[in-house]
Amino acid sequence: MTLATIRRAGPRPYPPRVSAFTDRFWRALADGRLLTTRGKASGRLTFPPKPFCPFTWEREVEWTELSGRGTLYSHTIVHAAPKAFAQLAPYRVCIVDLTEGLRAAGALICENDPRIDAEVEAAVLLHDDGPLLGFVQ
Amino acid sequence: MTATPCIIGAAALPVGRYQKPRDADLQTLERELLAGVVIDAVADAGVDKSQIDAMVFGLEKSYARQAYFATFMANYLRLPTTAALSEVTGNGMTGGLAFDQAANEIALGRAQVALALGVNLETAVPADEHLDITIRHTGDVDFHTPFGLTPISWYAMDAMRYMHDTGATRAEIASVAVKSRAFATDNPLAQYRDPLTLDEVLAQRMIVEPLGLFEVPGRADGAVCIVLASEDVARGLNASYLRLRGRGFFHEGAHQINEVPNDMTAYVAADAAGKAAYDDAGIEPTNLDFAEIYAPCTITEVLASEAFGLVPRGRGAAAAAAGETGPGGRIPINSSGGCLSRGHPPWVTGLYSYVEAAEQLRGRAGARQINDAALGMIVAELGNYNAALVHIFEAVR
Repeated sequence: MTLATIRRAGPRPYPPRVSAFTDRFWRALADGRLLTTRGKASGRLTFPPKPFCPFTWEREVEWTELSGRGTLYSHTIVHAAPKAFAQLAPYRVCIVDLTEGLRAAGALICENDPRIDAEVEAAVLLHDDGPLLGFVQ
Repeated sequence: MTATPCIIGAAALPVGRYQKPRDADLQTLERELLAGVVIDAVADAGVDKSQIDAMVFGLEKSYARQAYFATFMANYLRLPTTAALSEVTGNGMTGGLAFDQAANEIALGRAQVALALGVNLETAVPADEHLDITIRHTGDVDFHTPFGLTPISWYAMDAMRYMHDTGATRAEIASVAVKSRAFATDNPLAQYRDPLTLDEVLAQRMIVEPLGLFEVPGRADGAVCIVLASEDVARGLNASYLRLRGRGFFHEGAHQINEVPNDMTAYVAADAAGKAAYDDAGIEPTNLDFAEIYAPCTITEVLASEAFGLVPRGRGAAAAAAGETGPGGRIPINSSGGCLSRGHPPWVTGLYSYVEAAEQLRGRAGARQINDAALGMIVAELGNYNAALVHIFEAVR
C-alpha cells in the first residue's frame, strides 16, 4: 500500500541518523512504503527495524511491508517545545497500535479532536531533506 | 553474610534556583554547595568523617564544568575511601541508584558508613535549550526524538489514555498538584510553598496537553547527602534511624513505549518492583504509613499510586481528589510536596525522597509529620516508568 505523502517545507527539525542497515527503511518511507523487519525463524515483527530479532536474538531477519493502518492509542499537543522544534509549536504527537501488532510513535495530523481507539493511517511527511513518519486521522 | 543498611543522617539544600548564567561575575560552584550539605548530613548522623568508607555520587548534569566530580570531591573534602567511590546514572532514577549502590557497600560489609550524594544545577540554562538535550534521554533519537517528543509528553499521553479508559477528569488529575502544595507549605526544603487552589492549577497555560504549568515540574537546582551505616554502627549512636527492610527493582525492557502493545498506564515496572519490595519486606501495601514516589507530573503520581497498590486501579485520580493521598489522608503520598512543589532537580530528586523518609521516620517532619509513621516506601523511576527502584524503610527509635 502506498502511503499518502504530505509535503513539509524546510528541513526536518531533528533529522534521524541513517545507517547502512536502516537506509532501506528511510528510502522506502520516502517512496511511500512503511517497512520493518521480522526474525526469519521466529517470524516475529519488530519496530523500528533491527538487524536481529530482539525477541530471540537471531541474526537472520527479513524485510516486510506494513499496512500503515492502525488505531490511535494516545496523543498530545506539545506547547512548550525544545528549541529545535520552536517553529513547529504547538504540534501534535501520538502513539499508534498498528494492525500487525506493533506500537509506534509519530507525528499526528488531525484537523478535529483526535479520537482514541479510532483508525489512523500512516503517512509520509516529506521535508526538503527527507521523510518522517506521520499518522493521519 | 549481609549487613542491614540503615539511614542515620541526611541534609539537603532547599530546592531552588542556584545556578548563575555563564556570563555572571559570581558563579555558584557545585563543590561549595555539596560540601556544605555533606558536613551537615554527617553532623546529623553523629559519626566522624574518618568512619566514612564509601561515597556514591549521582552523576552531575552535562552543564557542570568540573568533570570526574566524585574524585574531585574526594580531594575537596580530604576524604580517602576504602570501599568505593563512584558516580552512577540512570536519568530520573539517578538519585535512587546512588542510594542503592551505597546500600550495597553496607550490605556487602565493605563499608560501615557510606554517603549517597549529589548536586544538580541546571536552572540558568533556558528551558528550550535544556529540552534540546533532554529529548535525547526519553526516546529513541532516530525514531522518537525527530517528532519532538519531550520527556513529559509521554506522561501527557499517559493522561490522555487514562482519561479515555477510566473517565477520570483533568480536574481530578490536577488535584494532585493541590494536595502536593498543601504538604509543601510545611516543608522548609520545598521550592513552592504558597497555598494553591484547584482553580489556579486549571487556569495555567498548557505545557503539554492535558497538563498545564502547575501539573508539570518547575526548573530546579538542589544538593543532597544521605548518610548510611550498618546497623551495628546505627545502634551505637543512641538516636533514631531507618532500617532498610525491603528492596525491589524492575526494568520492563522497553524504552518509553513497548513495541508489543500493552496497557501503558498500568506502569508494569512499578507493579513488579513494588511486589518484589513488599515480598522482600514481608508487608502488604496497606501496612505502609506513607510513600514518597518519584512523579514529575500529576498523572505520574496517579498511575504510580495505582500500580503500587496504594489505591485501586482506575481510582488514583479520584482518590487524590478525595484527599486520600493528601495531608491527613489514608495513605499520604509525597508528603515532601513531591516533584511539583518540593521541587524537581532531576538527578538528585531521588535523593530528596530519602531525606523526607529520614524526617518522617525519625519524627522530625514538623507540621507535615505523619502520625506514628513507622513504615515508608521510597520509589525512583525512569522513562515513562519503564523501570522502578523501590526501598522500604522502618523506623527504629
